[in-house]
Amino acid sequence: MTTTKIDIALNLLNQQLNQPLTAALEVCARCGICAEACHYYVAEPKVEHIPAARAESLRKVYRSEHDLLSRLFPSWTGAERLTEEKLAEWADIAFNKCTLCYRCTINCPMGLDTPLLMTSLRAIATATGNAPEVLEMLADAAIEKGKDPEIYLGFYKESIKDMEVELQELTGNPDASIPLQKQGAKKLYVALAGAHTILPVAAIFETVGEDWTLSIFEAANYGIFLGDASRAKAIARRIVDEAKSLGVEEIVISECGHAYYVMRWVAPNWFGDEFTFRVRSIVEVLAEYVQDGKLKLDPSANSEPITYHDSCNLGRKGGILAEPRVVLQAVTNDFRELTPNREEAYCCGGGAGLVALPEAYDLRMMAGKPKADQVKRSGAQVVVAACENCRLQLGDLSGYYGLGIGVTALTDLVVKAMRLPGNQKTVEHIMTLETANSGEHDNAEVWGSTDLVSLPSTKGDRSEPKSNV
Amino acid sequence: MSTQTTGMVLDLKGLLCPMPVIKLAKAIKDIPVGEIIEAFATDPGVMADIPAWCRTTGNELVTLEKNDKQFRFVVRRVK
Repeated sequence: MTTTKIDIALNLLNQQLNQPLTAALEVCARCGICAEACHYYVAEPKVEHIPAARAESLRKVYRSEHDLLSRLFPSWTGAERLTEEKLAEWADIAFNKCTLCYRCTINCPMGLDTPLLMTSLRAIATATGNAPEVLEMLADAAIEKGKDPEIYLGFYKESIKDMEVELQELTGNPDASIPLQKQGAKKLYVALAGAHTILPVAAIFETVGEDWTLSIFEAANYGIFLGDASRAKAIARRIVDEAKSLGVEEIVISECGHAYYVMRWVAPNWFGDEFTFRVRSIVEVLAEYVQDGKLKLDPSANSEPITYHDSCNLGRKGGILAEPRVVLQAVTNDFRELTPNREEAYCCGGGAGLVALPEAYDLRMMAGKPKADQVKRSGAQVVVAACENCRLQLGDLSGYYGLGIGVTALTDLVVKAMRLPGNQKTVEHIMTLETANSGEHDNAEVWGSTDLVSLPSTKGDRSEPKSNV
Repeated sequence: MSTQTTGMVLDLKGLLCPMPVIKLAKAIKDIPVGEIIEAFATDPGVMADIPAWCRTTGNELVTLEKNDKQFRFVVRRVK
């Protein structure tokens, strides 16, 4: 008997039906409060942008499969059978019409986990071959790097040596170094690919005398965007194994929202017994340095009006709300909040992998309008975001809505306020790299949910990734 | 310097990872099987990302080299 996509989808839905998912499917009171909570709806008030309406598509199928009355009299309850057309609709809803920001959940009187439903739809779309090709490609390339780091390690070490020269110029210390694979270091710093998330942090660590080492892997986890636990685990596993083999006390994740969320809040559910180290964001480490007086910072170095965008993964989902503000108060004299902010901050409109999809440009510019309006109202000239995905989206929003803002990372502002000997030249270099993608229509990022399941492969010979590097 | 016919030249300078990979993946669909893409980038991340992408997609990495702060790679479309 041939297994159809419908069979795969329904089997997967059944596998995922744990208590939280069942509750999310059955509890909605249709009050509509989630409408105003969603940045899509705020930007474009249409029924299709109401989170409860989006979820209803899945609920109709759930009822037709799991509710006796609906099976007997589907028209009474609005139950519908799953079709291939509906599968395509689910993929569009899950990947394009929701950024898994959780603003609907915290505003729902029932605390309904609509993003969990959307993650379930992502998993089904991935299992049935309807997921965005770009996200699959990026996830698979990351897994490949984990299987055999030797394919790039030589080049990587060479790049790090070049970066050390820049670090020495920046810090004025000819002995400054970027340790790689250092056994017994206290901190394992996991950056994103490229120099812009390594060099500023290396300068900060060097200045405070931190005992650290740089990971040979990048922090991004595209598997989580797909709702695909096997891929997401394989990508996270590389870092867990590295931390264990080096014997570090903690993993420090770069300014990347989803990467922090996965390692701090999702991966412990997969590998809990193996977490002999803690996981923190670099933002938390920076705040600690500021509070402990380890960094000498000159707030006049950042003279433009500055605001902060709360990344959903770091803030609402990750709980890192006070720390960035501790740092910002120390690096500028003109910090102004967006309204609303913190837990109630609007998503930038590019989250959950949307910023990586070239075809989603118009959609994310529309969905980012509430954020663009907030930034405009603040009067800020610089927007800080501790998430690469958000920075890329904010840069695009600036171009699209004519905001004329600079977009930067928190670490860059800290380095600028440190007034290091080679500061000017290197910071300009970093800032140029940071904004290089602004105006592009196809950038990238990631994240997900704690309730992921392994997916059956529908694409030829995709084997289970090897766990250990 | 490559003596092969270059189907396309990509300027990826200034783009941060994973943008170079995304651009390459899009561009390679626009050249015939057997032809090559020559690309230039400045993000060191390409040194890891491009070999891994070639392995997962089955395309051939012909050259990957670093010249000062610039990276050049040549990829042949295999399928």
